[in-house]
Order: sequence, then C-alpha cells, then structure tokens
Amino acid sequence: MKRIVYAVLGTLAGLVLLFSYRTSLQVVPPTASGTTSGTVSGGSGGSSGSSGGSSSTRLKDGTYTGQSTDTRWGPVQVRITVSDGRITAADAVDYPMNNGRDQEINRFAIPQLQNETLQAQSAQIDMVSGATYTSEGYATSLQSAIDQARS
Amino acid sequence: MITDTTPHADVEHVWGTVVSVQTVGTPDPEAVAAFFAELHEIDRIFSPYRPDSEVSRIAEGQLALGDADPLVQEVAARCAAYEGETGGLFTAYWRGCFDPTGLVKGWAIDRAAARHLEPLVDGASVGAVGVDAGGDVLVFTHPDLDRTWHIGIADPRRRGAVVATVPLRNGAVATSGIAERGAHILDPRTGSAATGVASATVVASTLEIADVWATASVVAGFDAPLPPQGTVLLIAEDGRIRRGISGVEVSVGAAS
Repeated sequence: MKRIVYAVLGTLAGLVLLFSYRTSLQVVPPTASGTTSGTVSGGSGGSSGSSGGSSSTRLKDGTYTGQSTDTRWGPVQVRITVSDGRITAADAVDYPMNNGRDQEINRFAIPQLQNETLQAQSAQIDMVSGATYTSEGYATSLQSAIDQARS
Repeated sequence: MITDTTPHADVEHVWGTVVSVQTVGTPDPEAVAAFFAELHEIDRIFSPYRPDSEVSRIAEGQLALGDADPLVQEVAARCAAYEGETGGLFTAYWRGCFDPTGLVKGWAIDRAAARHLEPLVDGASVGAVGVDAGGDVLVFTHPDLDRTWHIGIADPRRRGAVVATVPLRNGAVATSGIAERGAHILDPRTGSAATGVASATVVASTLEIADVWATASVVAGFDAPLPPQGTVLLIAEDGRIRRGISGVEVSVGAAS
C-alpha cells in the first residue's frame, strides 16, 4: 500500500534579508487507531514529511498544532483540524496583531483548498475574490450570479 | 434580532468594474447610495482614464503634487510608504509617471466603507455588510451575529471556478493576477510584465494592505519570500500552490 503522510510544514520565509535561517516543523498523524487528537511539534531544521511510519492512507481525525515560529512581527502558530480524513479548518492560534480586528481575522485566516474540504463549497460562497474583472467580464462571473440571486 | 441571514445585494458600475454591496438585515438604500457616490467622486479625482482627473494632470505635468487635492497627497504618501515596505515591488511610478491606481481602489473602498457601511452594522437592523469591488472583498460582521462570510477565491486557470475558500467575519481579501486582463502587472524593477504567478490572494485587516501585498506578490514571483503581512495564497501559472501566514509558509499535503 502506498504510504501517504500528511505533514504541516511551517517554514520561516519572511524577508530574506531579515531572516537568514530556516526552520521547519511537521505534524504527523498518529498511527495508533482510536487516537482522536495529537500534537506533534518538530524541532528546527528537521526533515519534512518522511517520518512517522504511518501506514494510514489518510489523515487521522483530530487537531494538530504546529510549533510556534517567531517572525519579525511576533510568533505564529498554526493549527489544523481534521474531520473524516479531510481538513475542515486551518487557523492561526497565535498570530502577530496590532488590534482587535487583527485578532478576529486570524481565526479564519488560512484559505482552505477545495480538495481539502469535505464537500464542494460553491453553494455557500457569498463573494468571490479574483483578479479585477471588467464590467463586461462581470456579466459572466460567479459574483454576478450570486448578486442576481440576492438582489 | 436578525432571522434571515441571506444577504441582499446592491450593484453599481464604478471604475470600469462592478461593485456589489451585500447587507445581512435591513438594507439602508441611502447609506449604500452615499457609499457608491463616494467611489464615483474618488474616480473623478484619481482615474488615469479621465484626462481631467488630478492624477492625469499630474502625470501630464499640468499639476504639481503639492498643489493637488489633499486626498491625492495622502495617497501619494501612502504609496511611498508601501514602496519602502515592499522593497520597491509596489510603486505608484510603475509606468514611469505618477499612477497610484494600485492603491486607490483598496484605499477608497476601506475609506468609503468605514464612513458609510460599517456604522450600519449595529447587530439590530444590520448584522453584517460585505463589499465585493471587482474581486476585492471587505466584510464587517457584528459580534452577536452567528454568521461567517465564505469568500471564494477564483481559480485563475478555470474561469467561473473557485479554487479555495476563506471563512471571514471581519477583514479584507484581495487578489491580483493575470486571469482577467492578461499580463498587465509590470515589474517596476525590470519594466516588463510580471509572469509566473497566475494569482496572489492576500487576507488582511484592510483592503489597502491586502491589495498592495497581492500586487507585490505577483511582481515578486512564485518562489519569492511570502509577504510579511496577512495570509497569502499563491497560484503559479503551472498550478502549484503556496500558502503562508505572516511570512510563515503553511503547507499541508501528501509526502510520498
């Protein structure tokens, strides 16, 4: 059976001139059955995505919290939630913030890819962010369809 | 108490694109009209497509920046600050003359929404307001309202499709890219069109910040350091994807 290991990597990229080192972390799904949550933090400079020894073919349900990473603006720590083998949330639990508005934003900050989520989410989309369309382009856009349904 | 949380949409053509305002609760037509009116006024001052706009007259050498409308001077100062922050990836002088268009859209939506739409969100008659200005999104939600906006991120390689979603209660989402109007973003460092990144999406506290860093991320290229502010979703022309938060890369995927 082909082994699939899901890993959450946090790589300090930031500004090259400011950060001269890299750190990575990984969160590997627990191998034991019946485990509903796990938190594994890798050390800095570790290899990525190849350890864990899991023979599971999909990510275990649970909540995985990565190692806190320092940035120029403060620490960043990422948590993913897995349900039914798919990622249902990816949040920053620790995030540099200037005000309350930043604080609220961080809870929902990471875009979730369609193929990570449980179902196609098109049905519940409120608005679409994309490259600026022209007035003509709007007419055939998904945003136009949503607006028409709600006007 | 707001029971029906399906938003009502009002749509207006502004700036050569379309701006829609969505209201959860009871819409306030006067406030929405005032919001749109402010965007039209900003267009009269800043549009590079209007020969009589202040920006066009500055570009033509007919008006000194120091004699321009205070709003133009404010925008010019903000552009200069972002030019420093982005290491020159963002500049108002990307085509040689003064053209702050890349900042004005986000700045103006932030400003007009803060003046006319955000005050409506009282939790009683209005629970939330959202704006989508030609693909740039800004939302406000009252703490008591149990509703989260689901912002789709357009797939730059499949028109009409969505590649990801961002659940958001308060904040801004901006996307820059080449999907709708071709390779129109110039790299100020080389003067040629930026390539490699099909689209860059940034989630931040304001649309101005999100928009500037989305543009800068397209210019920087797919393999460049991630923006230090906000969260980012980069999609390469070949379909590769990167995500990051505050400059920290987040990757979730299968390792063989």
